[in-house]
Amino acid sequence: MSDNTPKEQNSIPTSKVERSAKFVKTGFKIGGNYIKHYSKKLFNPDMDKSELNEDNASDIYESLSELKGSALKVAQMLSMDKNLLPQAYTDKFSQSQYNAPPLSGPLIVQTFRKYFGKTPDKIYDKFNVRSSNAASIGQVHQAELDGKKLAVKIQYPGVGDSISSDLKLVKPFAFRMLGMSEKELDIYMREVEERLLEETDYELEVRRSIEFSTACANLDNVVFPKYYPELSSKRIITMDWLEGKHLREFLQTSPSQELRNKIGQALWDFYNFQQHELRAVHADPHPGNFMITSDDKLGVIDFGCIKEMPEDFYYPFFSLTSTGLMDNKEETIKAFRQLEMIHAKDTPAQIEFYYTAYRQMIGLFAKPYITDHFDFGQTEFFDELYGFGEKVSKMPEFKQARGVKHFIYVNRTNFGLYNILHELKAEVKTDTYKPHVVEQFA
Amino acid sequence: MATIEGIQKAYIDFVLTEGQQPKSVYIFAKKNKMTEEEFYKFFGSFDAIEQNLWTGFAIRTIAEIKTQDVWSQYSAREKALSFFYSFFELLKGSRSFVVYSVKKQPKTFSTPQIFTGIKDVFETFCNDLIVEGLESNELSERKFFSNRYKDALWVQLVFVLNFWINDSSAGFEKTDEAIEKGINVTFDLFQRSPIDNLFEYGKFLAKNGGLKEKMGFGSN
Repeated sequence: MSDNTPKEQNSIPTSKVERSAKFVKTGFKIGGNYIKHYSKKLFNPDMDKSELNEDNASDIYESLSELKGSALKVAQMLSMDKNLLPQAYTDKFSQSQYNAPPLSGPLIVQTFRKYFGKTPDKIYDKFNVRSSNAASIGQVHQAELDGKKLAVKIQYPGVGDSISSDLKLVKPFAFRMLGMSEKELDIYMREVEERLLEETDYELEVRRSIEFSTACANLDNVVFPKYYPELSSKRIITMDWLEGKHLREFLQTSPSQELRNKIGQALWDFYNFQQHELRAVHADPHPGNFMITSDDKLGVIDFGCIKEMPEDFYYPFFSLTSTGLMDNKEETIKAFRQLEMIHAKDTPAQIEFYYTAYRQMIGLFAKPYITDHFDFGQTEFFDELYGFGEKVSKMPEFKQARGVKHFIYVNRTNFGLYNILHELKAEVKTDTYKPHVVEQFA
Repeated sequence: MATIEGIQKAYIDFVLTEGQQPKSVYIFAKKNKMTEEEFYKFFGSFDAIEQNLWTGFAIRTIAEIKTQDVWSQYSAREKALSFFYSFFELLKGSRSFVVYSVKKQPKTFSTPQIFTGIKDVFETFCNDLIVEGLESNELSERKFFSNRYKDALWVQLVFVLNFWINDSSAGFEKTDEAIEKGINVTFDLFQRSPIDNLFEYGKFLAKNGGLKEKMGFGSN
């Protein structure tokens, strides 16, 4: 675990007015950054926008990290979509995946008394009131019971309440940063809101964690902490403490290629087993949710965000990625229609355009699936991927809403997975858990 | 045989059922099968019962938080937070009485009679933790002002009390947030801050006001 002990936060802005004020402040600052940028540019026309982006990112990060809760979650989410964001934003946001300032000890004690009627020192043999790290809508504490080391996750009060109002506030900023159309953003925001609200339900999370860790128990080199429902409640989760390193710490130890492949394979199997066998997936693949244990296994520690894939999404999407279906233009267009990537009122020219663009996009995405083996260390694949993402984000044709809402989390999951594998520079056998496909569509 | 607790219980039951204080001690005593004399042995008036109940809340809270294992590790700020959380947790059990008792107080700036006892207990508690905070340099010693720190905390308590009475969130979660925020802001002000530095700088300039002449920028 990290040794960082960030300064305890002095105040959490929680009322809507206060939160708005925070965002307004950020807005002013960003405005200021643009002024700074353009006045500098007057004297130095060669200047590119990277300094500006850097200034903006750090201001947004500062304000998001003070806001905590769902806003921090959005920051994390934006940082996952590297293909949508300029590098500077991403680097700053990646910080939010680690530590955010903790809440006061007495509030922790209070939360326990509310849900268990006793203070934590009456429940556990040992309980550290100083949190060991933040978990975006909660924080994690170390505890001990019957000689076992435990991780206790405690949710901040009022998180559920503030999610919806937070997202409304984030919207104009996401708007500007992502350059999406309002309609597209609305679909995105609703889906995100649904998942986020699920994440605040710790009782649900414990149930799912147990379900998923049981279902995935046979996977090689993947380990899960044990969960304790009797020591968990609406706002508290108790689980085993996983000893290990975060991805970035792990990479700093310069692990061997063999070891990186092993971890990468575990990650690949974990995700593809869920997607193709369980049809529901741990949709939060940011590096903070994984540990590399001392015996070189992949530890998975957070099942707050689960995306279930309905059949009418699963079959058209994965059939495209894994069969010769894409060579059949007629069937491909049928699949695109089912996924709402091509709309009923599109003109023939538009159909042609979107057919070509999406075919290329899915072709890129599906590359690891085409062969039985894929080297995620190669940068060309990722350059191509980001390059394509950047190109698409500038096309006026993509300003409007396209694609069913399920794409948001499925894309986030798979791009997140690809990104982590890339950071690991892992070579992975990609035919371990293959997609189930159909060749024809009604 | 009448006891303090018995009289308190009967009194709470009466005011919550009737919505007002009994017309006289005589009526109250008769209803509860005791003599007026027995009543006066414990309390001089009905307000004295309420005062005693309020003081009791604070005393019980302080006794309770001091038994927690983490107490000795807490900073002054955390001790204050701990008091607030536990106090309102305790009040939950008597919310109806608390609402009744607070709402009938006239809105004045002076402390109502029934709160004088709890104020004393609370201020003694605050004084202890402020002294502790000053000694450990957690809080900033300021002439004249550091004596007033406890008043600021009392104002906070009254504020949160009113907030809690009007709080309708599930589990009074909003009150928890009000406490976390309010106490932290209050303690931030008790800490060394830019204002102190500004003050010091002002003092320095005032003391060295003659500097200008000495450096030859003055007339002649």
